Amino acid sequence: MQTGKVVYRHSAVTRLTHWLFFIAFLALVSSGLQIFNAAPYLDASDKTDPARRVLQISSPRENVGATTVFGRTFTTTGWLGWTDDGMGGKTDRAFPGWITIPSYQDLADGRRWHLFFAWVMVFCGVAYLIWGIGRHDLRELLLRPSDVKKLLPMQLYYLRLRKEPPAHGKYNPLQKLAYTMVLFVFAPLIVLSGLALSPSFDAAVPWVTVLFGGRQFARLWHFVLMIALCGFFAMHVMLVITTGFRNHITSMITGRYKLGAHDGVGI
Amino acid sequence: MKRKLFIATSLSAALAGCGAVGTKLTGNQGFQSVLHTAEDLNLKLIGTHGLAHEYSLGEISGDFPINSFDTPSDALYKHLARAAFRPFRLIVDGMVDRPQRLSLAQLAAMPQAAQITRHDCVEGWSAIAQWSGVTLSDMLALTGPRAGAHYVVFHTFDRDANGLPYYESLSLAQAMHPQALLALRQNGAPIPADRGAPVRLKVPTQLGYKSAKWVRHIEVVASLDHLFAGKGGYWEDQGYEWYAGI
Repeated sequence: MQTGKVVYRHSAVTRLTHWLFFIAFLALVSSGLQIFNAAPYLDASDKTDPARRVLQISSPRENVGATTVFGRTFTTTGWLGWTDDGMGGKTDRAFPGWITIPSYQDLADGRRWHLFFAWVMVFCGVAYLIWGIGRHDLRELLLRPSDVKKLLPMQLYYLRLRKEPPAHGKYNPLQKLAYTMVLFVFAPLIVLSGLALSPSFDAAVPWVTVLFGGRQFARLWHFVLMIALCGFFAMHVMLVITTGFRNHITSMITGRYKLGAHDGVGI
Repeated sequence: MKRKLFIATSLSAALAGCGAVGTKLTGNQGFQSVLHTAEDLNLKLIGTHGLAHEYSLGEISGDFPINSFDTPSDALYKHLARAAFRPFRLIVDGMVDRPQRLSLAQLAAMPQAAQITRHDCVEGWSAIAQWSGVTLSDMLALTGPRAGAHYVVFHTFDRDANGLPYYESLSLAQAMHPQALLALRQNGAPIPADRGAPVRLKVPTQLGYKSAKWVRHIEVVASLDHLFAGKGGYWEDQGYEWYAGI
């Protein structure tokens, strides 16, 4: 390994789609929570059915917020159910104003944001994947059959049960697994489950809504996939911070990355 | 480690600030017009194709939510409701060759179509009901839209708290969709007053706000610009999409 050597790591398309995707992701989560607030419950069914309710955020009375998951109710005052209304007061509102776009209750504008940035996300994803076919940016990121047997040793290394990580390229096998899942499983599914909510899309391509178990179930999947992507996002940001924040940010802006102790053998 | 904690804290603060930036941008006209481009894209790419799924009688929702005023406070509407809508006439005019004034008996004498479809509300909930009545395509065939007509506007008896009338519109092509219905009956009985009696629109391929209740006047027009705020509907004038297919 040549620690300290500067390499050209991210191409312009990767960098551009990365940051556009980042902005779109924040906008989609915030406006999505705004849209959720208009009907703050999720049912595992086609039509709305309280008997098949998985999640409900409500305010049983003034100054109290409650969250019910699989029939178990938790008091979540201040965080969920009874929260800030985005205008300086408190009200019965599922997700608080500081996390929604717009901060105050406004379904129409929330939808405008959501439906616009959904296209930005799809555009970035498709552009990145098409452009990446046969190029090293994408090739080095995706999990290959030969990586599968390295997944467990890599996990053991992270758990400090193994001294050395298994030999790998620019990205380690667990990173590859995470990126591959996001690009080919979670991102397509979150787009499809969103489209499944559309009555016109449902009429045109009925199998998609059926695939998710109906419209309300698709809404539940859409929410669960959002949580999964937020989990990936949190992990991604945590790793960026702990393995050389400045170097990573610089490389995603300029493309140039300084090799360090964290990088795998064989680059 | 302190440095990493500092970075993490700063990032969290930056993320929390996104909401504030988003709220600011929402009020910006230029930014709004950028956001609005998605509607054209959705109209072009998703459009209105295929048929909404039709359900069986057993799948009808027990409690169909009501998401409007219970009944219009309009004086004429109250008078008509008291008379069991016998004096009611549905007016169909505008750019048509044969304008109509149809009583409920005349509407019931036209060919009746039935559908059990899911009503998808913009808020996120869904409910299933059976609707029967006259298809819009039959109504348009009866009245004969003239060349140059592009939209069908539905005026209702409903008004909001400020007196602003509730109206909706479809393109001629959307109105010709085989499931676009002027419903007279819900689940086999005349539509109840709080569900849109005596005639309501049912467009199962679009979100619920398209399916206007208490329709009194259907107007075929060339453009939506001259109607109220010009966006083609009460909710559209408040910022919701005219294309309510998604």
